[in-house]
Amino acid sequence: MPEHLEFNSDSDRFHQKKQFRFRLYIAFIFTLILFATLITRMAQLQWVEHERYQGLAEGNRISIEILPPTRGKIFDRNHILLADNQPVYTLKFIREKMDNIDSAALAIQVILNNIDPKRIHDFFKKFKQKNRSRSYTLPFTLSEEQAAQFSVISHKHPGITLTARLKRTYPHGASAVHALGYVGRINQQELTTLDPKAYRGTDIIGKSGVEKYYESTLHGSPGIQQVETNVRGRILRKLETLPTTPGKDIHLTLDIKLQKFAEALMGEMRGSIIAIDPQTGEVLAFVSTPVFDPNLFVDGIDHKSYNALVNDPNRPFINRAINGRYPPGSTTKPFMALGAIENNFISPNQKIYDPGFLAYKNNRYRDWKRTGHGLVDMNKAIVESCDTYFYELSLDMGIDNIHNALAPFGFGAHTGIDIHGESRGILPSQKWKKETKGKSWYRGETIISSIGQGYNLTTPLQLARATAILANRGKIIRPHLVRSHKTEALEQIEIKKISNWEKVITSMENVMHSKKGTAQEHAQHLPFKIAGKTGTAQVFSLNAGDYDAETLDKKLHDHSLFIGFAPVNHPKIAISVIAENSGSGSKTAAPIGVKVIEQFLKMYYPETFPETYPEEIPVKKREN
Amino acid sequence: MKIEPLQTQQVYRKNKGFLESIHIDGWLLLGVLLLLSISIAIVYSASGGDEAVMTRQIIRIGFALILMLLFAQIPPNILYIFTPWIFLLGIIMLISVLLFGQASKGAQRWLDIGPVQFQPSELMKLVLPMTIAWLFAHSKFPPSFGHLILGTTLIAFTGSLIVVQPDLGTSLLIALSGLSVLFFAGLPWKVIFTAFAGVMLSAPIAWHFMHAYQKQRVLTFLTPESDPLGSGYHIIQSKIAIGSGGIDGKGYMGSTQAHLEFLPESTTDFIFSVLAEEFGLLGVIGLLILYCFVIARGLYIASQAQDNFTRLIAASFMMTLFVYIFVNIGMVSGLLPVVGLPLPLISYGGSSLVTLMISFGILMSIHTHKKLLTK
Repeated sequence: MPEHLEFNSDSDRFHQKKQFRFRLYIAFIFTLILFATLITRMAQLQWVEHERYQGLAEGNRISIEILPPTRGKIFDRNHILLADNQPVYTLKFIREKMDNIDSAALAIQVILNNIDPKRIHDFFKKFKQKNRSRSYTLPFTLSEEQAAQFSVISHKHPGITLTARLKRTYPHGASAVHALGYVGRINQQELTTLDPKAYRGTDIIGKSGVEKYYESTLHGSPGIQQVETNVRGRILRKLETLPTTPGKDIHLTLDIKLQKFAEALMGEMRGSIIAIDPQTGEVLAFVSTPVFDPNLFVDGIDHKSYNALVNDPNRPFINRAINGRYPPGSTTKPFMALGAIENNFISPNQKIYDPGFLAYKNNRYRDWKRTGHGLVDMNKAIVESCDTYFYELSLDMGIDNIHNALAPFGFGAHTGIDIHGESRGILPSQKWKKETKGKSWYRGETIISSIGQGYNLTTPLQLARATAILANRGKIIRPHLVRSHKTEALEQIEIKKISNWEKVITSMENVMHSKKGTAQEHAQHLPFKIAGKTGTAQVFSLNAGDYDAETLDKKLHDHSLFIGFAPVNHPKIAISVIAENSGSGSKTAAPIGVKVIEQFLKMYYPETFPETYPEEIPVKKREN
Repeated sequence: MKIEPLQTQQVYRKNKGFLESIHIDGWLLLGVLLLLSISIAIVYSASGGDEAVMTRQIIRIGFALILMLLFAQIPPNILYIFTPWIFLLGIIMLISVLLFGQASKGAQRWLDIGPVQFQPSELMKLVLPMTIAWLFAHSKFPPSFGHLILGTTLIAFTGSLIVVQPDLGTSLLIALSGLSVLFFAGLPWKVIFTAFAGVMLSAPIAWHFMHAYQKQRVLTFLTPESDPLGSGYHIIQSKIAIGSGGIDGKGYMGSTQAHLEFLPESTTDFIFSVLAEEFGLLGVIGLLILYCFVIARGLYIASQAQDNFTRLIAASFMMTLFVYIFVNIGMVSGLLPVVGLPLPLISYGGSSLVTLMISFGILMSIHTHKKLLTK
């Protein structure tokens, strides 16, 4: 206490001390009274009511067993099992009931010959110091055969019980992992938000994908059983039971065969394939590569495997289908063209001269074809993917009209798919730039926006959805992965002239089937017509800090894109393909897209194909 | 050889023993050490003879004792200088816990590497009463109306930061530790009774704002048998443990309720039930006498303190200790609703032990750093 604060006079000080001591006495008396209350309470419990509690403790006791619910299974659209619950066996030990721990340990080492004896030894070393009366579970699982072997000798080892539990398994391994997601142990954070009653006896929870989004459907609710046990803890009889409600099964819209076919086509490449039924919005294939094995997470992943996945430069954890944000490149052109002709900025037959560039304010915005496309109408602009045509168009339209034309297709907005965490992408406008960058818009930026570069970013799912809406002639759909998922009725994009839509779609058909089309070489053999568009997106917005020097060159390669739907007049499938750093759209993404469409139609609409058509489409494993 | 200059000091040091020279109060140390020994024994029994658990508890106790010793060396006037700054730091940490806590939601935390966490609310258990004491040390007792308003505002503000975590139990107890300072500073009886009546009247309103789980706790407290499968289970099993202990108990390591796992949290919040089961009513009375002894010694130290700041913190620390003991034992015996609160100095666990031992360190420092008063 600093000296200057001691301003009180001696009499004050004396008075204060007296008053303070008085309060101390009161506090102490208060303490004594309440302690006496506690002792009275204890006397009531331990003396007066002792016999009653003695009876409760010594005689039969009631204990509670939680019966955890069985998690709902997940199937694909054809009832093929994607997520199952498999019984696994393990051993439980209670130290005070065991005669000889060392001999038991030895016997278990013999049976579990697939596990390093040292790990079993370590478990028992720790076990010997643990609570004598509590049961401890071996951290390894036994095969059915090993379980049988143990049953034979179990009578020699009291205190050890063989127990079975259900473990989530994904029979198709890494396939469709980004759609399906996975379950894992409940963590501290989740514990605070969960209903503790519903999760009694459960230690796993959906961590991502459908497993997470539909957690409440899949989980069910636990049952409770009251059992009477004797003083040694043995169950005498079962009393009241609250039955378990198992989780509900879920059917996905995915076709796992198509999914695997599409995944194989991606090979070692990074990227995504989305196939949607344009009529319903059902997602038929949901590919994001590279993949990883969800089975690793169920019982908790070890640090080594986890770090390997996290540090993998190809980032397998990223769900590229909904979180990969890519410049759409030339795949944006059909939507641009439709917006321009619907709003009378140009007529489909009007021609623009392309010398190979557009000159604007001392800058030359180059076409991909240095020599130029000559006179270009809308059809030619889409078929040959002429950049200059769209540069010119964009200067007439301005960024806000472009934004308004593309927004109804869902660019720059959540698709509303039934898994968590999708990205919005970016569909730029003057307002957007002002709000996010605080700067005004430059017309030069409009020019590069017109070919899906600059600020434009879209997810593969957004691109597939936009393609489906185009295929539907304006009927908006909401992509979803679970068949029973109810989507509200969505409106239709306002159509000013249906012939405008057909003209754009015909041009996309010409991309695939006319001589000059950018993807004509891949679709000539097909007995049906595809409408498609290739795209080659420059990767100039890369954050160079993310990459090491060795892979830098590769990572700066263009992204290869493709969108398409088929058959043109009655679309059954709409698709988007993005292959990162894999060169031009016509070279890499287009053939993949065509093959997926072809495979799907063969599986579901075989009548589309003549009888002489080859049965199997050879799947070539790509070397990146 | 040069005796003369030392003579005056020798007079002063005449009664100083070894313990006092290292700023330790022997009586307080004795009480605390007895309680800690009981802790080790009961934790071992409640865990069913788990040596690893007991070893960890011993290590924590050792660590806490060292902290107590260190804090006993800090003269109260140094504490006085730092108090408002530590309070500010604590408030900042409470706010950042709120902000950070929300940001980390949904993160993949199931790979948590070790339970390294720090609870600012634990720090506040000491710092809030110290801050109120610091505030009142400026003026004479009873404090002026303005000081009282400022004091209650600080208490309410700190409490509300913890309430929204949400942690109603801790928040109320911390607020109570602050309010105890008001009491010792000479808050007029009129005000005390008016406030008490106000709290009683506003209880229905508080009920309205409680979380569902908090309401559940209160309801279960009133009629534990109504939910024998749910939250009432803890209380029923705890009462069976205590009641079956009888007058002289089942003997050390004889708690069947804990060993057969009927009793939840038997090493932490419900450790008193294990003690009551094994040592009976006599053991319980013994423990309460020991607690009473520690509190009495603490209050004696408060009565001997030389200035308002140290008086108030010493008295308030002891009242806080008392409230924790009372709430825990009241809870496990079914007198009070279930609040997750350990039994001071006995329960297994580190954070509350550290806080308590620091408060004992401060108490010892107050008693052993006295100046000679010039009367």
